Amino acid sequence: MLTRIRTTWRALTRRLTWERELDDELRLHVELRAADLMRGGAGSEDAVRRARLELGSRESYKEEARAAFGLRWFDELRQDLRYAVRALRRSPGLTAVAVISLALGIGANTAVFGVLNALVFRPLPIPAPDQVYVLQGPHPTFSFPVYRDFRDRNVAFAGLAGSRLTQVGVDSGTGAERAWGFLVTGNFFDVLGVQPALGRFFHAEDDRLPGASPYVVLSYDYWQNRFQSDHNIVGRTFRINTRPYTVLGVAPRGFQGTEVFIFPEVWIPMMMEPLIETPWLENRASTNTWVVGRLKPGVTAERAEANLSAIAGMLAKEHPSTDSDMQMHLARPGLVGDEIRTPVKAFIGGVLLLAGLVLLAACANLAALLSARATDRFREMAIRVSIGAGRGRIARQLLTEAVLLALIAGACGSVLALALLRALGHWQAPLDFPVRFQIVPDYRVLIFALLVSTLTGVLFGMAPARHAWRLNPNDLLKGTQSGREGRWPLRDLLFAAQFALCCLVVTGSFVAWRGLAHAVTTPAGFQPRGVAVLSFDLGLAGYATPETGRPFQRRALDEMAGLPGVEAAAYASSVPLSIDQSGTRLFREDATDMRLPSGIPAAVYQVSPGYFAAMETRLKAGRDFTWRDDAQAPPVAIVNQTLARRLTGTEDAVGRRFRGRGRLVEIVGVVEDGKYTTLTEVPKAVVFWPQPQTYNSQTVMIVRSTLPEPVTAEQMEQAIRRLDRTLPVFGVGSLSEMLGFVLLPARAATLALGAFGILAAMLAITGIAGLANYAVSRRVREIGIRMALGAGAGGVLRSVLGRMAALLCVGLLVGLAAGAAASRVLANIVFQATSRDPVVIGGVILSMAVVGLAAALGPARRALSVDLLRALRHE
Amino acid sequence: MSKESADLLPGTLDLLILKAVSLGPQHGYGVLIRIGQITDGALQIEQGALYPALYRLEHRGLLGTEWGTSENNRRAKYYRLTAAGRKRLREEVDGWERLAAAMAAALAARPGEA
Repeated sequence: MLTRIRTTWRALTRRLTWERELDDELRLHVELRAADLMRGGAGSEDAVRRARLELGSRESYKEEARAAFGLRWFDELRQDLRYAVRALRRSPGLTAVAVISLALGIGANTAVFGVLNALVFRPLPIPAPDQVYVLQGPHPTFSFPVYRDFRDRNVAFAGLAGSRLTQVGVDSGTGAERAWGFLVTGNFFDVLGVQPALGRFFHAEDDRLPGASPYVVLSYDYWQNRFQSDHNIVGRTFRINTRPYTVLGVAPRGFQGTEVFIFPEVWIPMMMEPLIETPWLENRASTNTWVVGRLKPGVTAERAEANLSAIAGMLAKEHPSTDSDMQMHLARPGLVGDEIRTPVKAFIGGVLLLAGLVLLAACANLAALLSARATDRFREMAIRVSIGAGRGRIARQLLTEAVLLALIAGACGSVLALALLRALGHWQAPLDFPVRFQIVPDYRVLIFALLVSTLTGVLFGMAPARHAWRLNPNDLLKGTQSGREGRWPLRDLLFAAQFALCCLVVTGSFVAWRGLAHAVTTPAGFQPRGVAVLSFDLGLAGYATPETGRPFQRRALDEMAGLPGVEAAAYASSVPLSIDQSGTRLFREDATDMRLPSGIPAAVYQVSPGYFAAMETRLKAGRDFTWRDDAQAPPVAIVNQTLARRLTGTEDAVGRRFRGRGRLVEIVGVVEDGKYTTLTEVPKAVVFWPQPQTYNSQTVMIVRSTLPEPVTAEQMEQAIRRLDRTLPVFGVGSLSEMLGFVLLPARAATLALGAFGILAAMLAITGIAGLANYAVSRRVREIGIRMALGAGAGGVLRSVLGRMAALLCVGLLVGLAAGAAASRVLANIVFQATSRDPVVIGGVILSMAVVGLAAALGPARRALSVDLLRALRHE
Repeated sequence: MSKESADLLPGTLDLLILKAVSLGPQHGYGVLIRIGQITDGALQIEQGALYPALYRLEHRGLLGTEWGTSENNRRAKYYRLTAAGRKRLREEVDGWERLAAAMAAALAARPGEA
């Protein structure tokens, strides 16, 4: 086998040497033979001539030798390719339609695969990434003490590192700016195995005592963009949340920690946590830490999981109130454990499936067109067969043509996909959350494009090749068409299938659009229109305690209330449907089991009086908070309907009490349910604490105004600047903008599926128009005669296009049925996907009818304008 | 060509070439001459069939090649048997002998013996 490949390869790649050697060998033969002949008495010239004659022509040897060395296949391929290029050039219209529709289809698939590859398949840019896992319990986060216990007790990991996404106010001498970063344990960079681009990283020994490691490492992008790649940055002192930190180094280019979505700007040792956030390091109830680990060499993920589970079992006994019920497993890093990996995979997988259907439709379309053309090339093939070409050769020739077409289209499609992916990289997340889609296409994407193109070519090349395969040389010679077209020729089936696929994809885009419309209009429990927001974190500017922070918040609120056009103003620790959400556990008044895991989970918002008015959240019963609900007053809370039912068994809960914040709290109001983390969630329990009784340095100012939101936002920012110039503000804009993140999946789905829908409609049009044109041109003579015999326009159209119309109806029905069956796949992509929605069905039927009519218009006009005389002269 | 000559049976050319080369490395023309010698001129080989057969055997890895100098001091491509070629020759010879024996027995049969 090896020698075969070697000899073929040599003959192929070193053709000149190979041919010269062949010549040498033959020349020697002639000389020796001539010498022998001369010895037998022949004259020298005569001997040479005879020797040559006996041996035969040199060229035929070369042919034979090439065949012997397995080169015939390549020679034929070269022939086929040359022939294919000529054939494609001869019908530029068809070639253009084919290349464009395929390029769009392949491009869409490649782009979607590129996203999937970048988010799911691509390993982290660190050494030996397959050894690195993130820990996943009931959540992907753990309390810091639990992290420490896992780190110190496990025997499976070479190292376990913890991290926590946070925001900090960085002042490099030009005023404080908000930056996103991670608090990470000292061993973080060593566990991941990365080396700094500049300076040094901090290590485990730098991160031992709380508050004792004021160091910061910058990300490469941040260093490059914010500090113009200043090489003297190492050793400089920054003020972070007003305290001095030393810049240790810069992380390598492309390194972004363990999450593919998040692009941090700084890394700070975990032990600095108490100086950056409200201290939680020693609190077993605060689960804030993501844990990533590198397995010891030779340890499998299963063994590591068993080890972690054993430790979790011990912790459950030692700390039953916080650490019970921790099911441990390992997840690939990149997408917050399994938390968003699963939905992201399902979402992109679903989109890829639809993209695949579009491509399949394009295949069916081209297969129908090409096999129609193969019928037209019947005479050409007849000649080739009669001069001795095998049917196999002709089929192969047609297949080569198809694959060549697909590869050209694939190249165009890949360029398209790369452009699309690059555009995606420039996308800006709503309200400066550090999220980006940095999608770097790698060799996997190119291989995918190549495979898809080849497969596509083979797939749609089969139809015409099959046609050629079934050619009957006898029929050909007699000059009759190959008559074996059944009642349902393949072409018709392909046509119907193509239309059905297009209907399916168009159904998908209608469903997505309905889903988005639904998501936008779904009642969220508040009215974002007219509301402007602005966020700041007082912790970033040194207002760490309630004593300094609360008066500032009051002053800021007074400033807001004084702005022109303001109807209502309030502030809260965060707003529903924004990124920043936190939760707690509450207990009924009569609860006896006070272990944390058995409490009732609820989302928490700390809000100022007037919050519900500003958000237009309806108070169902009771009263709003007042400024008199302060630390001296009895503890109070407002709950939503769901929490009221869970805590007291009734929505009529005003005046009842429950346990939370470590004491007995009275419910003073009940508000309507809303949406809090996603639009698709089941009703969630929510508790609102009064800001005068609790304090959170994280502040969102909320202003409802009659002025446009951007104007209000601008005025709010100026007002805060007047109060404190050093306080970094962020998230300035309209509330709707801030919610953009929640709508991201719905928007992405609508965009992607909408594009596919348009593509599918275009395919349907080219397919119908192409085939209808073909049907008309084949029957020009018949049409002419019918019209001459007095057939009406309707009759002519019925005879020519009636069959197509029937096929279209069948395709439409099949497509709609498939759409209904595919609801579950669509549900991965679109919130509340129902393809049984009458609006969707009606929309699909209407738009496909428009598509069909638009496509058939041209050919129908041609059919009706057939001129008898010219038709008879035709051929 | 006064001697009686026989046509080659299909497949025997390869066997003859392998046999000829097994007696020592030879260039193309040498193979032709040697076959003439060992068959005592009884088997005629078409000169045109020789080289394609050599290429085929080389491609299959049964013959190896190296460049040497011919008796008239020319650069010449010498063929020699590879290990695979030697094994193949043995198999072919066995097969041939079995066939020849069977054929001989069959043709020697007389009426009444069957």
